[in-house]
Amino acid sequence: MISTQSSGAAVHIENLDKYYGSFHALRNINLSVKRGEKIVVCGPSGSGKSTMIRCINRLEQHNGGRITVLGTELNDDVGNIDGIRREVGMVFQHFNLFPHMTVLENCMIAPMIVRKRPRAEAEATARRYLEKVRIPEQATKFPGQLSGGQQQRVAIARALCMQPQLMLFDEPTSALDPEMIAEVLDVMVTLASEGMTMICVTHEMGFARRVADRVIFMDHGEIVEEAPPEQFFTSCRNERTRQFLSQVLGH
Amino acid sequence: MEMVIVAPPAPGKLEDLRRRFFATPLQALLSLISLAIMAFVLWKLLNWAVFSAVFTTSGGPEACQAAAGACWSVIAARWRIILFGLYPFEEQWRSALACVAVVVMTVLSCIPAFWTGRRIALVWGAGTALYYVLMKGGVLGLPYVGEEAWGGLALTLFIFVTTCLIGFPLAICLALLRRSELPWISRTTGLIIDGVRSLPLISILFTFAVVLPFALPQWMAGDKLYRVILGSALFFSAYQAEIVRGGMQGVPKGQEEAAMALGMSYWQRIGRILLPQAMRNALPATINQFVISFKETSLVVIVGFFEILASGNAAYGTGEWRFAYVEVYAFIALIYFVFVFSLSRYGAYLERRMSVGER
Repeated sequence: MISTQSSGAAVHIENLDKYYGSFHALRNINLSVKRGEKIVVCGPSGSGKSTMIRCINRLEQHNGGRITVLGTELNDDVGNIDGIRREVGMVFQHFNLFPHMTVLENCMIAPMIVRKRPRAEAEATARRYLEKVRIPEQATKFPGQLSGGQQQRVAIARALCMQPQLMLFDEPTSALDPEMIAEVLDVMVTLASEGMTMICVTHEMGFARRVADRVIFMDHGEIVEEAPPEQFFTSCRNERTRQFLSQVLGH
Repeated sequence: MEMVIVAPPAPGKLEDLRRRFFATPLQALLSLISLAIMAFVLWKLLNWAVFSAVFTTSGGPEACQAAAGACWSVIAARWRIILFGLYPFEEQWRSALACVAVVVMTVLSCIPAFWTGRRIALVWGAGTALYYVLMKGGVLGLPYVGEEAWGGLALTLFIFVTTCLIGFPLAICLALLRRSELPWISRTTGLIIDGVRSLPLISILFTFAVVLPFALPQWMAGDKLYRVILGSALFFSAYQAEIVRGGMQGVPKGQEEAAMALGMSYWQRIGRILLPQAMRNALPATINQFVISFKETSLVVIVGFFEILASGNAAYGTGEWRFAYVEVYAFIALIYFVFVFSLSRYGAYLERRMSVGER
């Protein structure tokens, strides 16, 4: 079960290295996330933030270092990985809803075939979470019939239906029209207030200020700065962070 | 200010015709000439096929040759050869029932309500078993009829359906193997697919029918018919595998990632997420491949099987009806048309059904 060094830690990353061919995408990343903690990861594009959170549920394989998620170390053991993915929900930039299924089926399929829940139970759970993301009336529609903001909320509900212990958000609002960003962020804020462990890659600095316990700034595959939001926004130590913040907050 | 936009009144039928075909004098002239040509051709055709045609066998071939129109008597006299080939006359009702069994099996498996693993397996298992027992006999008091005597429509349908039943799952396996992450698997599969595709179907059929028995021990060779079906299924699967692979490439990478992130296993991702979307992308090309395969069944004649086209040759080829080949071919063309046209209509229905909620 949970080993001593990572007790209480939802995610523990030690000396993580990741290469794409000869490109050094992640350099010596160290990060520990406690249960219930909310982490916001930001940084310029190409800085490795998406790659890092995709390593946490092994959509990307790391080349060096150790990643321990919910007490299990990620290695080539496929059973372990499927076990961790069951407990780690993920929301993608482009939603990635299954277009050939209705909204309700999108939310029911994984609990039914992965967790082997009976259909009635899966449907009740799905309807509960669709209620929670405020689109219960869209249950019988197909994803292609919804707006971007609605699709992303369905994607959040789909992940929550697996009743995960940890949620990863990979730029969840970057593909949305401005007027739809708020509805998605609202859902995420509610989720945070209920104590979900969250790691969010996002440029929404207002969201970071409101919910984050820690903000992490990455550049060139490294963690450059790591601080609580108050400190991060007012007195960051690093020149690159300051430059990035002035670009994001500047207008 | 509120703007009110009123749609122009829809033109009436006559007005629409005038605008499309008689807008200028030249256009009117061209329309009239085309109309005259069409009427002439239609009248000629009807006159040949219906008004001056002979339908009864009472006068024999002589009455036909005297008439100006089509000689449908040849069909009336020889339809059994066309439909059943060399199958023994007394037992041809079995061949007819076998045709019905195959058609019913195909129609049932086209209905969405039967698309669960158990039901489809039941339909196919029962259908092919029924066909086999009816055609071959030797049990339940049915006299034995060897595969070499099977022929006509029953044989054409059987070869087509079994080719698809074996070839389609094989195609999906090949397509999945070709996108394997292990290079030696994907390359080998690619080599097999490209190898089979670069050979003519006739040479594959010939190899399986004639050459293979020398390479295999007696007990493995089986009847020529089944070897030919295997060869044709292999050919079908090589083409279909590329169609399926194309369909898979059209599925965004994020789909599989989302399925992975939800903890689905490889086969769950393939079966629930990747293949349903890939098959939707690949549907038009797949229907095309089915149509081609149906028509290619006529090639088995070169290894000595009397499928429907060869049976047709036999029907007019003997003495008295030798002059009536056009009518025989028209009849066979009609049979092909009925099957192929239903297939493409079914394809269109599937496309409509699957495009529900299209992005």
